[in-house]
Amino acid sequence: MVPLSYYMVLSAIVFLTGFVGVLIRRNIIILLLSIELMLNATNINFVAFSHYLNDVSGQVFVFFTLTVAAAEVAVGLAIIIALYRGKATVNVEDLNLMKW
Amino acid sequence: METVAFFYFAAVIVLTAVLVVAFRNPIYSVIALLVMFFHVAGLFVTLHAEFLAAVQIVVYAGAILVLYLFVVMLLNLKQDDSYQRQVGWGIGLGIVGLAEMIYLVLSAQVGNSPAIGTAALQASASPKVAAIVTRGNTEAIGYMLYTKYLFPFEVASLILLVAMIGAILLAKKGVLGMKEP
Amino acid sequence: MSGTEHLLYYLSDYFPILVFIAVAFAFGAGTLILSHFVQPKLPDAEKLSVYECGSEPFSDARMPFPVRYYIIAMLFVIFDIEILFLYPWAVAFDKIGMIGMAEMVIFIALFVVGYIYAWKKGALEWD
Repeated sequence: MVPLSYYMVLSAIVFLTGFVGVLIRRNIIILLLSIELMLNATNINFVAFSHYLNDVSGQVFVFFTLTVAAAEVAVGLAIIIALYRGKATVNVEDLNLMKW
Repeated sequence: METVAFFYFAAVIVLTAVLVVAFRNPIYSVIALLVMFFHVAGLFVTLHAEFLAAVQIVVYAGAILVLYLFVVMLLNLKQDDSYQRQVGWGIGLGIVGLAEMIYLVLSAQVGNSPAIGTAALQASASPKVAAIVTRGNTEAIGYMLYTKYLFPFEVASLILLVAMIGAILLAKKGVLGMKEP
Repeated sequence: MSGTEHLLYYLSDYFPILVFIAVAFAFGAGTLILSHFVQPKLPDAEKLSVYECGSEPFSDARMPFPVRYYIIAMLFVIFDIEILFLYPWAVAFDKIGMIGMAEMVIFIALFVVGYIYAWKKGALEWD
């Protein structure tokens, strides 16, 4: 039997990969993909805990994560398209209009 | 057997997660993420969450990644973009965070120590739910979702409605007074 | 029953799927490898050039798609999630009864609002 802590470490690695991706990449689409990685890390944790605690609630929460991921993708990509129409770039360093 | 399966899935998940961040071409990143979603689904099967494994493939691999690929194609991103200047800082911060998380997990020994072991936690779960669990994964999820998590479920539908309206408003030509590229 | 035995028993349900995956991979890889060894290789400049219905290729294969595709794909994702919520509801329907029915009516009513909005905004039209 694989200990629960293994799943937690795996989830931590995936989450931090997404975190580092948000920090180091310039392409805004890769930034959104990194956020997808973070959401999947939480999903792994939810399902692992649900299995080890023998409680389905964790799996129900994955549904809500999924809903939020879909909403985030729909709105986030629409924002990227709107930005691209205005500035013709997906580089986050060029999107500095609100930077003081 | 279970350990082998776990380590195979974990190794591929970590590798493809790193590749998603490391690839310079967005299309390669999306394909790496696709491989990762399939392996996360495999991990869910070994954790007895069959319905979520199917959902993972249908929604993430089948719908969300298609949307990403559309946008990469839509914007016609040919140039390989570079990393931020502070790439060393980012990776260093990630390693520090990872060390901290692993230290926390190993020092707490969640699920291994007798004080808060899985047996004690299992006992604290309600027996009614445990009885339903044995009847089938999808049915158990449905029962839980439509009784205990009734209100979050309705909020989820509201979130989806707002997302749909917002995305149409942002992406539709001329709604915000902008022209198509 | 130990954990490993239990998992083996459980995973034996997935054995047909494993066989399918193995056969699919073996067929794909086998065909490619076999054709690599069997095919005659006599390359020349004309053969190695890009083939595009016989005419000279004049632009890159990757050209921008219209935004309409994005709107259709986005609506597909949202309604996909809706179907996802319907599935466990249908399976557990005899347990949750009329309350579950009422919840689902509210849920679908909210989606109908979004659908009407998309329709009125012309997001479902193609021109």
